[in-house]
Amino acid sequence: MASIARQSPLLRQSCLSAFRAPWATRNVAQVVAFHASARKQILPPLPQTIQGTMNDPAPIPTSHPTEGSYHWTFERLVSAGLVPLCIAPFAAGSMSPVMDAVICSAIVVHSHIGFHASITDYFPTRRVPKTHTFMIWLLRAFTVGTAVGLYEFETNDVGVTEAIRRVWKA
Amino acid sequence: MSALRTTSRLIASSKPLFRPAAFARSYATVDALSQDPTPSEQPRTKTFHVYRWNPDQPTEKPKMQTYSLDLNKTGPMMLDALIRIKNEMDPTLTFRRSCREGICGSCAMNIDGVNTLACLCRIPTDTSKESRIYPLPHTYVVKDLVPDLTYFYKQYKSIKPYLQRETKTEDGLEYRQSPEERKKLDGLYECILCACCSTSCPSYWWNSEEYLGPAILLQSYRWLADSRDEKTAERKAALDNSMSVYRCHTILNCSRTCPKGLNPARAIAEIKKMMASH
Repeated sequence: MASIARQSPLLRQSCLSAFRAPWATRNVAQVVAFHASARKQILPPLPQTIQGTMNDPAPIPTSHPTEGSYHWTFERLVSAGLVPLCIAPFAAGSMSPVMDAVICSAIVVHSHIGFHASITDYFPTRRVPKTHTFMIWLLRAFTVGTAVGLYEFETNDVGVTEAIRRVWKA
Repeated sequence: MSALRTTSRLIASSKPLFRPAAFARSYATVDALSQDPTPSEQPRTKTFHVYRWNPDQPTEKPKMQTYSLDLNKTGPMMLDALIRIKNEMDPTLTFRRSCREGICGSCAMNIDGVNTLACLCRIPTDTSKESRIYPLPHTYVVKDLVPDLTYFYKQYKSIKPYLQRETKTEDGLEYRQSPEERKKLDGLYECILCACCSTSCPSYWWNSEEYLGPAILLQSYRWLADSRDEKTAERKAALDNSMSVYRCHTILNCSRTCPKGLNPARAIAEIKKMMASH
């Protein structure tokens, strides 16, 4: 039943225009009044139409394992790997620079994937393509900045693990 | 058979054969005179706030309309209350319902903040608290409590929810399964596609055009797990992109809200495991 109602945006529109016809052609006040809710939306409103007829299946996206299953497996491996990596240096008590480098790169990769997922969720390409691209490049800039900063901190200063240890014991 | 039934009813029943339509339809209302076990009981008046929006008046904002019912004269379920409101108080109230026993999935709505089937949801007997009934969240509303599920069904169609098989069995009879293989489908085939889980998922709220949502993914896993289906690789390839499955962030609202007690989040986790190990 709903699908019948949904199927006919045309019908609904024609009903509306027939409804409006006696008064005026689409004046501004009416169009404003048509938006019954407050206009506070962050994203542009959706077209509220469907592709094809209601009997067509929704389009299936092209297969892309590097964005799908491989990506997910890699993400899970990094996440799972971070748990022992974060415990190990403090449990062992050793301040290996190699270990520090591994932790730092894993954290950078992990947070990049995490923020990338947030951007995909909240700035979808189909709705805000320009903002999406901007956010992706912003994220890349931040990731590179973080990586460079951590590298400087590791090479010219005490390094992450030692810094945490000092803060902990301060 | 029907003739037999009619005859036996004629003999057995002392009730009048033809009753006015009004009586025949008033199943949601307990007849106060004949059936009230404790006539001296105080009326237990419960207040219901129901979401109303009429597409015939598109310039009017959606509003909450308040109805008060005596719970002594109403059936135990939310759907009974809604039907009673529609029968006795406000015939313009619009909602879907069919089987009234939780097998058709028509009466899915948001009751007191939880997506559920109105026919499986008891009216809270605490009359001091007021109940609020909304349509399923983040759906386009057709009217009042009727959500538009067109795209949900289109997504269901896109996963090809039927057995795909090229080869025949040796004896040309049915495709057999071992009890263990059949057991894998328990907890999957019971899904009635009421859309309670999908519309409770924040990820589906933001990306319902591309993310399939828990209900469709549970159905997808139902066919991936089926030992008789031969297109598992194609099914997996169709899901292997960033949007279809991997917008699931294990929020678990789906498993929490499912009125049938199923676990769509587990099905999605199984899909992810299957996809990772190919």
